[in-house]
Amino acid sequence: MANSRDYSAALPVAYVALRILIVLNWLMGAAVLALLTATIVAEEWTLRALGIDSGSPIRPVLAGLRLVAALGLVCIPINDLLLRRLRAIVDSVRQGDPFVASNAQRLQAIAWALLALQVISMCIGGIGDAISTKENPVNFEAGFSVSGWLAVFLTFILARIFAEGARMRDDLEGTV
Amino acid sequence: MAIAVKLDDLLYQRRMTLTELADRIGITLANLSILKTGKARAIRFSTLEAICAALSCQPGDILEFLPGSPEVG
Repeated sequence: MANSRDYSAALPVAYVALRILIVLNWLMGAAVLALLTATIVAEEWTLRALGIDSGSPIRPVLAGLRLVAALGLVCIPINDLLLRRLRAIVDSVRQGDPFVASNAQRLQAIAWALLALQVISMCIGGIGDAISTKENPVNFEAGFSVSGWLAVFLTFILARIFAEGARMRDDLEGTV
Repeated sequence: MAIAVKLDDLLYQRRMTLTELADRIGITLANLSILKTGKARAIRFSTLEAICAALSCQPGDILEFLPGSPEVG
């Protein structure tokens, strides 16, 4: 069982990891945006640079791949919202005051973000199925995920628990 | 608050300071100050018991109900 020392060591690690992930998320977004833009503005040059010649099976499905990239870009600000809210929650735990109404609201926002990401994942999975052929199967490792949807429901429930916890904490405020 | 806390009077009678009482009953001075100044919203039975034991008094000696006083919060 984790003792209080393990608990206190995990929080700074989580805080630093989240800060790194926030930066990496935007870097990835910039890279995807650059690549997507290049395939539109300078299609031939970009595809040749990526080693995709005219006979490549990727060419016919380029529109689908662009759509997947665009959906990926939509995920970037959603990821940012999720990671920043989570960092704020971790910060409140480090300060010893997690059961506040603002954390309940943050968890609610995270739950909605997770839901949006699951919907986008299903869309990407659908696009993968649509452009996939027997000769050239496509797998984006996206689509319906039981664990993903479970995380959505769990986060909504956790948000409710935190709201109740904040109310109980407020009730105790001023109790000696 | 309609419940008045008469800790000041009792401490004076027992010739005890708030700090000494806090040390005796193991409650922080900050919390006792909150109680003394009438800012507490609730008191635990364990706190009431500890105060009564330390001051050799009854709960009614510390707390008084004043009907018609403005409710806070």
